[in-house]
Amino acid sequence: MADTAQVASAASSRDPAVGLRAVRALRTLVERLEALQVENARDQGWTWEQIAHLLGVTRQAVHKKHAGGRGPLRRRD
Amino acid sequence: MFERFTSDARDVVVLAQEEARALRHGHIGTEHLLLAQLRLDTPTTAVLRRHGLRHDEVAAAVTAHLGSADLDAEALRTLGIDLDAVRDVAEATFGPGALDAPRRGRQPRSPAHIPFSSRAKKVLELSLREALAMRARTIADGHIVLGLLREGQGVAAKVLHDRGVDLPALRDELEVLLNS
Repeated sequence: MADTAQVASAASSRDPAVGLRAVRALRTLVERLEALQVENARDQGWTWEQIAHLLGVTRQAVHKKHAGGRGPLRRRD
Repeated sequence: MFERFTSDARDVVVLAQEEARALRHGHIGTEHLLLAQLRLDTPTTAVLRRHGLRHDEVAAAVTAHLGSADLDAEALRTLGIDLDAVRDVAEATFGPGALDAPRRGRQPRSPAHIPFSSRAKKVLELSLREALAMRARTIADGHIVLGLLREGQGVAAKVLHDRGVDLPALRDELEVLLNS
């Protein structure tokens, strides 16, 4: 498979500019997908505890990262 | 400086703030000045429309430009990830723009007063210079658009370029209009 060969070559690239850019792109994509999924889970009534468990992080971490602008204690303007 | 603006030019500045707020952006950029101009019904707006610029289409182009700016499809491809395929899956479940748009709730709400970006300020300065160069006594909305074209680096300029607008022709038409 050409794709596999291409992936292997990128993964083993000795050029840091190629490898680091790929890592950054992947992180951005992961952040987008995480935000989508967390919002969806909250909309479906999942607790922060449940979300954190599946993401493999603490409840505080996931809440701090994603709870901005929502919840009863947030100012609505 | 604003005291020399015509009422149409003031409308552009005021509406630019509304455009930024509607898009939930934290600053007023060149793109919001362009969108504001397209909301008006002035001879300058008519010139822009003749060049195929409509508010809804430009707004969509701005959102697409800003939304996908930090998703690096080329770099992802080196990892064997097809961004378009990921986008298709995300949009099939969560709707159009699921991956593009800054997510609701993560984007800070626009403050009551939205500051101008340095590029947008530059555009307003350039509009003054355009007016002075034409020996105009006031700064009209057309001068702001000429400022946008002169600045040439902001999101508005990129959108105009991407849409294939004939910039020299647009500039000429605006100058003719403003000198008449």
